[in-house]
Amino acid sequence: MSTTAEPSRKPMPSALTFARHAKCSTTKARASTLHLPHGSVPLPIFMPVATQASLKGLTYDQLRQTGCMLCLNNTYHLGLKPGQAVLDAVGGAHKLQGWDRNLLTDSGGFQMVSLLKLATVTEEGVRFLSPHDGTPMLLTPEHSISLQNSIGSDIIMQLDDVIATTSPDHARIKEAMGRSVRWLDRCIDAHKNPESQNLFCIIQGGLDLELRRQCCAEMVARDTPGIAIGGLSGGEAKEEFCKVVDTCTGLLPEEKPRYVMGVGYPEDMIVAIALGADMFDCVWPTRTARFGNAIVSSGTLNLGHKTYAQDFGPIDEECTCACCRPTKQGGLGITRAYMFHVTQKETVGAHLLTIHNVHFMLSLMGAARQAILEDRYPSFVRDFFSKIYDGDKSKFPEWAVGALRGVGVDLLAE
Amino acid sequence: MTTAAMDDSSHMSFHVLDTVAPVLAPRVGKLAIAGRRTLSTPHYISLTSRGTVPHITHDVMRDHTGINGLYAGLEDFIEKKPPAPLYKTPVTEQESPLKKFICVPENMPLILGPRRFPAIPCPPTNTETSIAVLTSVGFHQLSAHHYVEAVQKLRPDIAIGLADIVLGKPPGVKRREKMVDRTHAFTRDALDRLYEDPEEGQPKSKAAYFAPVLPLDNTQQSLYLDDLESEFRHNLSGLALYESASLTFIPESLGSLPRLLLSNPSSPHEILREISLGADLLTVPLLGASSDAGVALDFDFPVPPALQTARSEPKPLGFDLWSSDNVTDTSPLREGCECHACQQHHRAYLHHLLSAKEMTAWALIQIHNHHIMELFFAGIGESIQRGSFDEDVQVFNRVYAASLPEQTGQGPRLRGHHLPAAGPGQPRRMPRIYGRLDEAIQKFAESQSSVATPDTGAEGLEEHGFAEKA
Repeated sequence: MSTTAEPSRKPMPSALTFARHAKCSTTKARASTLHLPHGSVPLPIFMPVATQASLKGLTYDQLRQTGCMLCLNNTYHLGLKPGQAVLDAVGGAHKLQGWDRNLLTDSGGFQMVSLLKLATVTEEGVRFLSPHDGTPMLLTPEHSISLQNSIGSDIIMQLDDVIATTSPDHARIKEAMGRSVRWLDRCIDAHKNPESQNLFCIIQGGLDLELRRQCCAEMVARDTPGIAIGGLSGGEAKEEFCKVVDTCTGLLPEEKPRYVMGVGYPEDMIVAIALGADMFDCVWPTRTARFGNAIVSSGTLNLGHKTYAQDFGPIDEECTCACCRPTKQGGLGITRAYMFHVTQKETVGAHLLTIHNVHFMLSLMGAARQAILEDRYPSFVRDFFSKIYDGDKSKFPEWAVGALRGVGVDLLAE
Repeated sequence: MTTAAMDDSSHMSFHVLDTVAPVLAPRVGKLAIAGRRTLSTPHYISLTSRGTVPHITHDVMRDHTGINGLYAGLEDFIEKKPPAPLYKTPVTEQESPLKKFICVPENMPLILGPRRFPAIPCPPTNTETSIAVLTSVGFHQLSAHHYVEAVQKLRPDIAIGLADIVLGKPPGVKRREKMVDRTHAFTRDALDRLYEDPEEGQPKSKAAYFAPVLPLDNTQQSLYLDDLESEFRHNLSGLALYESASLTFIPESLGSLPRLLLSNPSSPHEILREISLGADLLTVPLLGASSDAGVALDFDFPVPPALQTARSEPKPLGFDLWSSDNVTDTSPLREGCECHACQQHHRAYLHHLLSAKEMTAWALIQIHNHHIMELFFAGIGESIQRGSFDEDVQVFNRVYAASLPEQTGQGPRLRGHHLPAAGPGQPRRMPRIYGRLDEAIQKFAESQSSVATPDTGAEGLEEHGFAEKA
C-alpha cells in the first residue's frame, strides 16, 4: 500500500462548494448546503436512484416537484445501455434524460458484488466473463472514470474493490481496502474533468474499524471533493454499520460532504445523520413503491393488503406530496383504497406511490435539516422513533438506542 | 340547429351545429353536461383500465394532456364480494362515487359501461338476466339488476345500457334473436328503474342513458329500434353503437341523439370514415396500443399544404421509436410539436427508455400520442365546419400510409385483466425472466445473479467502453 501524503500528488480541483450552516450541539449531525454545477442541494439528503436514466415511470417534471435536486444514475447500466458512444454523441446523461439538476453516478463497483461469482478482481481491474458470450473481459478504474466522464455526472465515484461486509475472509477485506486506495489514485489520474465533475473516494475496510481508520487516513490525504463510506448495507448487523459510520465520520474532515452508500431505510438515515453523515441513496423507497408499499411517518404500509380496500384516507395524513395533498390544495386526492385498487395492476399505481415515497424521503430529510438548524435534532429523533413504534420504547431497536447513546442521545429517557 | 329533446331527469344536452342530414353525414356538436367540461364533438373518449388511463398519472393528465372524457367499465371494479369498495366511497350528494374512487375531478365527463373497452371475450355465456364479465380475479356474471344499481349509485355522467353482445365469434341466427330480445328487456327494465319508477328512497337517476344499438342488421333488431324511437325515446340521451355499419340505419327521429361509437378503428383513416358517417364520440384503442408498441404518432388533419405535394411514397402515420435510427437522434419526436414529451425530450432518450424497458417510455409516448389525437380531432371539427371535410379526407388518404407502422419491440408487461383467458396447452404469455443466467451457471458452475445483463457480446462491451477483452 502506498504511504500517506506523497509529495508528488497532483492538486485536486473541486467543482463544488460545501457550506456548513449548523452542527447539532449534542450529536454529530450537520446541516449544510452542497453547491454543485447543476444547483444547490440541502444536506442531509436522500438521493433517489434513476438507474437507467429514468426514475421508474416518473417524468422529470414529477421528480422536480418532489423537490429532488440530486439523483443517481448507474454507470454499469448506462455503460451497457445506451453505451459510451451514444452518451458522447448526445452530450452526456443530463442531455440524454432532460434533467437539468444534479446527477451522481456510482462506479459500477457495487454491481461487482452482485456479479462477483462471475468475476475475479485483480490489481488491474475486475475480470469477468461476458454474460452474453462468455468472453473474458476486464473492467478497470480507467474505464469506469472514462464512462463517468462521458456521462458527465456532477458527482462521480471511484471504482472500488467491493466485497460483502459479511465476508469472513479478513485478508481479502484488507486487500480490498488497500486496492481501493490504489485504484483511487488511478481514478484521479484518469479523471478528465475535475473542474466540472467531483470525484468522491470510497472508504472501504469491511467491518474492521482499524482497516477503516487506515483507509480514512489514506483517502483523506488524497483530498477528493467529497467522501463516501462504502461497502455497507450488505446485510451486516446494524450495530456494526453504526460503528463503521461513527468511526469514519470521526476521522473525516468537517468541511467535506459525507455520503453513506446504499442506505435508505428512514431509521438508518436518521441514525446515520446523528453519526455525522450527509448523503444517502437507496433503491428501496422506489422499489418498494412498485410492490405497493408506502413509506409513512408510522412506518411502511402495504397498500396491496385488503385492510386498505375501503380506506378512503390519503396515503399519509401528514404528507404534502402531489398524491396526498387534497384536491382543494391543488393535490390529486389519491386515497389508500384507490392505491389498493391499482397497485401491482396498473403502472400508474407504481408511479403514484413512487412520487409519494420519494417525496416522503426528501421531506423527512428536510425536517431533519430544519431540526439541526434549530438545534433540536435529539428531540426530532425521539419523535421520529416514537411515531414508528407508537410511543412504545420497549420496541425501539437496540442498535439505534445504542448508536444514539454513543452520540449523547438517550432514546429511552423520559 | 337541432337540439336533442331532454327529459328533466337528465342534465345533459347535445346541440348539433349546421347539419344538412340528421344521419350519414359528418357533424359537429356540443355535448354539455351540467357542471362538467363541455365536449366538442366529434371527439374521442379516453379508455381507462381499472380507472386509469394507462401510464398517465393524474397530475400528468391534468398538466400535460387535454383528456376530456373517460370511459370506465364496471367489471374493473367488482372483483370483491359485493358490495365492492367503490360503493363505499364517501361523497356528498352531488358527487360521483366512481369519480371520487378513481380520483378524477368532478368536472371530468365520465362514461360508465358494463365492460372494459375493448372487452376481452369470456368463455361463460351471457344469460337472460346477466352478462359474463372478466374481473382481475376471474369471470363473473354481472346481473342487469346490479348494473342498474351501479348506474344509480355511482352517478356517472353517461351510462351505456347493458347489451347482450357475443364477442370473439359471429353469433348464429338463433343467438342473434336472443341478443335483440335480451337487450330489449335490459333496456326496458333499466329505463323503468332509473327514470320511471325508481325504488323507494331512490331519486330519478341523473345519468344520461345511451341505449345500445346491437352490431346486427337493422332488420334483425327492428322491433327494438322501433321501441327506441317510440316508447323509450323520452328517456334516451344518446346511442351506443358497436360498429360503424350501425350508423347507416339510425332512424331519423333518433338523429338528434349523440352517437357514441365503441369501435376499434385500425387507422386514422378509419376514424375519419366513422366520422363521415356521423359518429360523435369515438373510442380509439389504437392510441394506447401505439404507445405500448413504442410508436409515436405523426399525422395532421387537414394535411398541411407543405405535405400535399406529390411524393413517391406515402407518409408514415407514425414512427417506431424502437428503430435503431433513433439511437443518437436528439430531435423531438415530431418537429415543432408542443407536447411535454417533445418539449423536454428527444428520440434518443425515448429509444433508450424503450430498450431499457423503463416505464417512463410509455408515459411520455402516451403524452405525445394524446396530443396528436387532440389536434387530429380539433382539425376534424374545423374541417367539418368549413365544409371541406370530404376533400380533406381524400387528401389525407392520399398522403398518408394506409396503416400504422408495425410494432417491432416489446410493450409493457401485461396483467391478467389485460389479456384473454389462457387456455390449456397455450404458450407462456411472458418469456422467463429469472434464470436467464442458468446457462452461464452451468458454464461457470456458479452465480445466481439476476442483475441486468448486457444484450451484447464482448465486442459490444468493448465498443461501449464498458470494459475490454482481456
